[in-house]
Amino acid sequence: MRDRARLRLVMALLVLLAAAGFLVSLLVGPARTSVGDLWRFLAGKDREQAVIFLDLRLARAVVAFLVGASLALSGAILQGYFQNPMADPFVVGVSSGASLGAVLAIALGLRASFLGFSGQSLLAFASGLGIVALVYALSQRKGLFKIETLLLTGIAAGALASALTSFFLFMRSDSFDQAVFWLLGSFQLAGWTEAWAVGPWLAVCLAASLWLAKDMNLLVLGDEAAQALGCPVRPVRRAFLVVASLLASLSVSVSGIIGFVGLVVPHGVRLLIGPDHRRLFPCAALAGGTFLLYSDLVARTILPSELPIGVITAAVGAPFFLYLLHQKR
Amino acid sequence: MKTSLAVFAAAFFALAGGAPAAGAQTIRDDLGRPFVLPEKTPARIVSMAPNITEILFALGLGPHVAGATRFCDYPPEAQAVPRIGGLVDPNIEIIQSLRPDLVIAFRGNPLRILERLSDLHLPVFILDIGNGLDALYPLIERIGQVTRRESEASALAASLRARERSVESALGVVVSKPRVFVFLYGQGLWTCGGQSYLNDVIIRAGAVNIAAPLPKKWALYSRERIVRDDPDAVFVLAKSSADFAKARVWLAGEARLGTTAAVASGRVFLLDENAASRFGPRLVEVLAAMARALHPERFGGRP
Repeated sequence: MRDRARLRLVMALLVLLAAAGFLVSLLVGPARTSVGDLWRFLAGKDREQAVIFLDLRLARAVVAFLVGASLALSGAILQGYFQNPMADPFVVGVSSGASLGAVLAIALGLRASFLGFSGQSLLAFASGLGIVALVYALSQRKGLFKIETLLLTGIAAGALASALTSFFLFMRSDSFDQAVFWLLGSFQLAGWTEAWAVGPWLAVCLAASLWLAKDMNLLVLGDEAAQALGCPVRPVRRAFLVVASLLASLSVSVSGIIGFVGLVVPHGVRLLIGPDHRRLFPCAALAGGTFLLYSDLVARTILPSELPIGVITAAVGAPFFLYLLHQKR
Repeated sequence: MKTSLAVFAAAFFALAGGAPAAGAQTIRDDLGRPFVLPEKTPARIVSMAPNITEILFALGLGPHVAGATRFCDYPPEAQAVPRIGGLVDPNIEIIQSLRPDLVIAFRGNPLRILERLSDLHLPVFILDIGNGLDALYPLIERIGQVTRRESEASALAASLRARERSVESALGVVVSKPRVFVFLYGQGLWTCGGQSYLNDVIIRAGAVNIAAPLPKKWALYSRERIVRDDPDAVFVLAKSSADFAKARVWLAGEARLGTTAAVASGRVFLLDENAASRFGPRLVEVLAAMARALHPERFGGRP
């Protein structure tokens, strides 16, 4: 019963924080706008600032929220999947793989789309999935994952993908800003198109992971135990792998690589509300969205010119990662 | 029936808002994107590069410039124009808040940002950077065209061309061409390669760029290559004479290029970095300065 109350409290706090974050995002920016401007705009009396409020600030905040939610959910799934709190789309290499796919699609001039995915997101998805599959295959020893092997394989695969990404970017001399985007992430160009590219799939993936959350709780006990308790281990594992890669790849294809969100957020949420995946998944998504919303707010306001958002998330995430590593010893 | 169709079509276009006003002319920018030519000179122009700002001011459009990059410092009046950020990091929100009726950008601006600006229904015209003086005059005329200052632009282009010709005729035929190294003072030995417009300016000044074989615009050159090439003259692109003095000391000292003919004989010249690094009207003066430094005898000076 106390658990329930705690969960409610955490959820309520997150919703409040997110709402406040959206409000501040609407108000703050290089073009001066006051609370009065926003009020007049909301009251419909003044459409002068519509583009700034809706197409620039709100769209950007929404995309940051959706990407944060996707990355955190992806991280929560991967942590359960690898039975390891150190896994996240960035550490495991999915993000770098997806980024390579996206850059490759641009280099090849791929403009086709399929099922509402752009060629860029499709190739990002394919190479993101490829990297997880590779890391999975290489770090498995007799059905067990060793932390060191998982991390090192992920780092190696991610570094290789990043190197290839840089190679394709620097082949074209005019793309320094693109390199920064694909390697450190940014929401500077985020608009409603990006929101529509991520939003619906996030909803689908969240629904799917909630539906399978019970099975994830069993998987944590070990594959054999899970099988004995009636969980169809292989299809469930495969489904989770696809969902986690899809979420991370979509995020990368709209905002570049943003590290550590998928690591820090699910872990922090687990500390607050416990390891039950039925609660962890939605809470992590909400917390991840809120975290990235605030990170983007910092990234775009702290200096006169914008910082890549990966700088902010890494500044928060890397110390946390070290702390986790230290605790493991 | 026909009239009702026409009325319907008219209403449709009016609603869609996409139909250009009668007589409006559509041209293409340097990326081939369609652009509706404004009826009259735009009142709020955002310039996304310093050379564009210089050309706009040279066309007398200073009061029409509503926004410029943080690098747009020439002419001095341009410094009072609101800043939109840098070349690769312009701020979309600031540009939008300036409510421009024309945004002039160039190829060095990130294309994704320019596309985002177009998506916000801002009229963006993108220009390419040429690789020689011959491309400068069309660039000026192109800016004149989109700002409806065609006659001023032709006049400016013609006067610059005349200045270029006067340098050319003063030089006459140069038989032994000095080999020069252009040094962008700052971090490391940055120079201009064979694809840069400065390479073209060097050729027109009756000289040879030792970095011309590099198929690039700007490139890092190695010290070893400079020693091997042994240039007759070095042009230092520096912001001030104080920087120029530092650059000379650096070349002879830390860079260990004191043994090259140029440094040993003191044929190290200052070029205004601000003027030489921008593909704008002042490039012709850079040509004149370069020609005069290399061939003083042909400009009435002592050899």
